[in-house]
Amino acid sequence: MASRRAPAARPPAAPEIPQEEIDRQVQRAVERTLARNIPGLRMPAPDLDLDVGQTPKELVYARDTLRLYHYKPMLDEIYRVPLLVIMSPVAKGYILDLAPGQSLIEYLVLQGYDVYMVDWIAPRREHAALGIEAFVSGMIDEAIERVAADAGEREVTLVGYCMGGLLSCLHAALNPKSGLKNLVCFTTPINADGMTLYKQWVNSRAFDIDRLVEELGVIPGEMINASIQALRPFQRSANQLQLLNNVDNDAFVKANLRFDRWAADQLPLPGELMREFVREFLRGNKLITGDFHVGDNVVDLGKIRVPFLHVAAEYDHIVPTAASRDLIGLVGSKDKQEIVVKGGHVSLVAGGNAVYRLWPQLDRWLAPRSV
Amino acid sequence: MSDDKELNPVRLWREWFVKSEKAWSQAMTDMMGDERFSKGMGRYMQEALHTHRMFSESMAQYLANLNLPSRQDILDLSDRMGQVEDALAAVQVELRELRTRIAQGVSAAPASSERPKPARTKRPPEIS
Repeated sequence: MASRRAPAARPPAAPEIPQEEIDRQVQRAVERTLARNIPGLRMPAPDLDLDVGQTPKELVYARDTLRLYHYKPMLDEIYRVPLLVIMSPVAKGYILDLAPGQSLIEYLVLQGYDVYMVDWIAPRREHAALGIEAFVSGMIDEAIERVAADAGEREVTLVGYCMGGLLSCLHAALNPKSGLKNLVCFTTPINADGMTLYKQWVNSRAFDIDRLVEELGVIPGEMINASIQALRPFQRSANQLQLLNNVDNDAFVKANLRFDRWAADQLPLPGELMREFVREFLRGNKLITGDFHVGDNVVDLGKIRVPFLHVAAEYDHIVPTAASRDLIGLVGSKDKQEIVVKGGHVSLVAGGNAVYRLWPQLDRWLAPRSV
Repeated sequence: MSDDKELNPVRLWREWFVKSEKAWSQAMTDMMGDERFSKGMGRYMQEALHTHRMFSESMAQYLANLNLPSRQDILDLSDRMGQVEDALAAVQVELRELRTRIAQGVSAAPASSERPKPARTKRPPEIS
């Protein structure tokens, strides 16, 4: 007797999955696998927008291209004398406040300093006529007064970075009785003979600074950036290759991209400031000859008598030590010191080297002079 | 990873380039510091400025005919935005001053979000 076999149950029909869903799931699986195995491919770039300049701050004063910020104190007891950091007009201030743990500003606030910063915004055409006098005797002077009033103190310590250091020196020399307590300059250009490439370019008769300023009004940031890149033309390419070699190191990738972003983020410069910088400083080298004018006043760095610290970087290619080492001799202070640390123009103040090399030295110098 | 480092010729080339970058850059910078290069660059800049002016004037007319914004229009817009940002900054400053004044006026009961002002009495740590 032939047994009757029950008809085989038909397998349930496979649910129809849209092709888009399959693509999406495959893409997710690939992304997850890549993210697990190759950390560098996690693309840290998008969140970099959020993690620069994170130390809490408030805007205290705004005028022309100047923005004065006050960093909120984090301790219950702070040093008496407030610190005012003057950034270079061609660079954004977040290089000093890159990320928590890598921020000079955060470090100073945590050491108990009352920190203010003059940061600059991109000048517009209406700012094209702002020259050295407008910066030194106008904006910086006003910023110091605002800091003194805000902190309720008569004395202020100035800390200038690069061209901000130059502006701070000019201010200190022209206003020796302005309530300045200390002056600190980071890698500050004083002797144009040490900046050979720029000097060669601007001394050429074919370089017409007046025409450049009249045509453009405001010198574009790209032009400033290109002139800085020219000092080490292959550095950027080398950085990119180094980034590839360290793509599996998340911390390296993040730090590198932050620096890279800042380096490409140059501010434009008011034409008049550029013209005066070229004429008075690069061509005339007048700080060395003693003939540097701000308005009608001649600058004599010997009139700076407050405690003075100059910090230079041994491998700085933007402001080589040959361009900055005369500063310590020209300043008239009795209490003066120069520190030369290993590093470059930027790694002097930011990055791993700065954390261990410069910051503690800066604190040791400032602390006894801030009470 | 170390195997990859030893065997990957591209990586080795990259490392060589990074190490020798300073010398390459120095050679290039020396070339750019040459008198002839400086003159050439100066002349190029003059020509570029002249071309820029000519081109922007003719393009401005052309774009206006097409009812499209020119670079000048974008710059005008940027200036106006900058002025709005200035006004906002001024409002921010005023607000901060107002908050400070209010906090001083009712100093016995500071606003809960405002941290009391720290004492300016800190001394440097003793150096042993």
